[in-house]
Amino acid sequence: MNPVAISESNILAIEDDPVLGAYLHEELQRDGFKVTWCKNGRDGLDIARQAHFDVVLMDILLPGLNGLEVLAKLRESSATPVIMMSALGAEADRISGFQRGADDYLPKPFSLAELKVRIEAILRRVALERRHQQVSSVQTGELQFDEQACDVCWGEQWAGLTLSEYRLLDILHRSDEEVLSKPFLYQQVLQRGYARHDRSLDMHVSQIRRKLKAIGYQEREVRTVWGKGYVLSAAEVS
Amino acid sequence: MPNRHSLFWKLAILLVGFCLLMIGLSWTWGRHMQTQNAYLSDDARILLSGYAAEAEQAWLQGGRSGVDAWLADMADRESTWISVVGPDLQSLSSTPLTPEQSRKMTFLRGVDWPVSRRVTGLPWMRVPFVERPDLGLLVIELPQRLLPGQYRLYWQALTNGIIPGLFTLLLCVGLYRMLIMPLIQLREQANAWRADRLSARVASSTTSRQDELGELGRAFDDMAERLQGTVVLQQQLLRDLSHELRTPLSRLRVACEGEADAGQLRERLSREIDCMQRLVEDALQLAWLDTERAPPSQEPIQVQALWDMLAEDACFESTWPPAQLHCALDASCWVQGNLNSVAQALENILRNAIRHSPATGVIRLDGHRHAKHWLLWLEDQGGGVAETELERIFAPFTRLDGSRPGDGGFGLGLSIARNAIARQGGKLWAQNTGQGLRLYIQLPAVDL
Repeated sequence: MNPVAISESNILAIEDDPVLGAYLHEELQRDGFKVTWCKNGRDGLDIARQAHFDVVLMDILLPGLNGLEVLAKLRESSATPVIMMSALGAEADRISGFQRGADDYLPKPFSLAELKVRIEAILRRVALERRHQQVSSVQTGELQFDEQACDVCWGEQWAGLTLSEYRLLDILHRSDEEVLSKPFLYQQVLQRGYARHDRSLDMHVSQIRRKLKAIGYQEREVRTVWGKGYVLSAAEVS
Repeated sequence: MPNRHSLFWKLAILLVGFCLLMIGLSWTWGRHMQTQNAYLSDDARILLSGYAAEAEQAWLQGGRSGVDAWLADMADRESTWISVVGPDLQSLSSTPLTPEQSRKMTFLRGVDWPVSRRVTGLPWMRVPFVERPDLGLLVIELPQRLLPGQYRLYWQALTNGIIPGLFTLLLCVGLYRMLIMPLIQLREQANAWRADRLSARVASSTTSRQDELGELGRAFDDMAERLQGTVVLQQQLLRDLSHELRTPLSRLRVACEGEADAGQLRERLSREIDCMQRLVEDALQLAWLDTERAPPSQEPIQVQALWDMLAEDACFESTWPPAQLHCALDASCWVQGNLNSVAQALENILRNAIRHSPATGVIRLDGHRHAKHWLLWLEDQGGGVAETELERIFAPFTRLDGSRPGDGGFGLGLSIARNAIARQGGKLWAQNTGQGLRLYIQLPAVDL
């Protein structure tokens, strides 16, 4: 992965459950994040307005002020990325959370590893957005990426990718044989949080594979790395 | 514009018809009564002609003195003014007419003329002699008791009050039966639901109506049907779910008491948590599929690409070689649906097929297009199920081979698949092929 300055990241966790909150606080700190833990929606909103945070983790059911209300109020003044956490796994909550500007949604129960992947995905996306990506040089004898047409060309043939497929292939191509996590790809390509039942990204990958195969491109392929994500790398010799 | 069977038309016809009927009735009856009440009654005419005959008799027999005597006699019988006059309208008695009386002689009425109510005072009647009308006539101020229209008020009350009132009452009864009875039935059904009798349905007399109230009744019944189905499903789900959750819990308890090694315990713990989480998620998803109101967003899905994606996952999970999962569909097969739902349905069906196939079995996806639909089928070589079980495999928590929970799944996969497909406007059903089970999926086709 591109080095993301995790150690300097400030995280605000708004979680009323003492056990889960303490655990999050402790574990995330151990991983080098600077964590501020707050148990109440209203205090959380005040703290989030006063100081700068890279990511806000927030429960939906909170005493004082509901998480969705905190989010709405916070969005009036700041664009800090917010990850909502909730045991209310219902679709409706997820949708209303996103409509009010949450960057990701993590249904409880979740594992710490999953949470870290989500945080990293968001930090990385923000870092990428700040940096203004440099245009990678087009190598000859390679797949030609056409920024204007949003398509790739192999030899004389165009693959006929859709916009999302192109962006996905492009980001995989730029990251230089590095495995990109699904939460990151969702953030970067589809601009939304990753949910376990969401198959859009897998479907795009499946289409990219079909289309690359159709134009006879076999040097590299989009490979699935189980439990991690996707990578564009040299095809396995079967 | 309300439709042909609308209540509007019934009400319009009924009310307009009723209004016209009432206006017509009171008009004709009123006129009839008015004319009826303007004429002298038969008894009055007979009485007056009798008087005339007596006067004639008196004149013919006694001349002036005879008439005088008769008039004197009449004064006792009638209190009104009476006179007998000749054809020249001069008195035949010895008392001549006063000028006032002579003037009134020009306004005499015959007995068969209508008597207007508008004249003030009592009308003067002329009754010609019976045998010799040319000889003279009796003039009589009509006695009050013979005046027609004695029962005028009574008749007016009848035609203008009581009869319209009765008709309106009839109309009210009709309207009540037509409009309110179905509502009472609906209220009774609502009360039945309150008493937890969910099987209560609206009477067929209401639901078979073509109008709005019939629609309301049918909507009510549909709602009851759905409510009952949901409640039954939820109760069943809750029962099954608590039963299923006991298994991993009891395993955990045993592990907690028995296992000494911390590493093993942790591994065991994590396995059981995974199992419980999967169970809870599947069960919740089944419940959501049934209760979610907004239809999921739909998009065209290429089945071939979907299959590639699912087959890759399935091969990884089951360690089957990809060659055993065969797709006979080409790139032209596009269906309309929600990607996540269709993917999950097909994934569940595929997992089910793999689980029940021998290790070397081949699973095939094929299909063809019927006009607006794609009929897809997925067949395995797992030997199929008994014909009687073909429907039961779609019920939640059905496990035919009696496999233990956890390793054989929870029996929720096919229920979720069926509900998910149904929400896309499709159908899912099963058939035996002899070699194995064939699951048919019907989904709306799209042309790109």
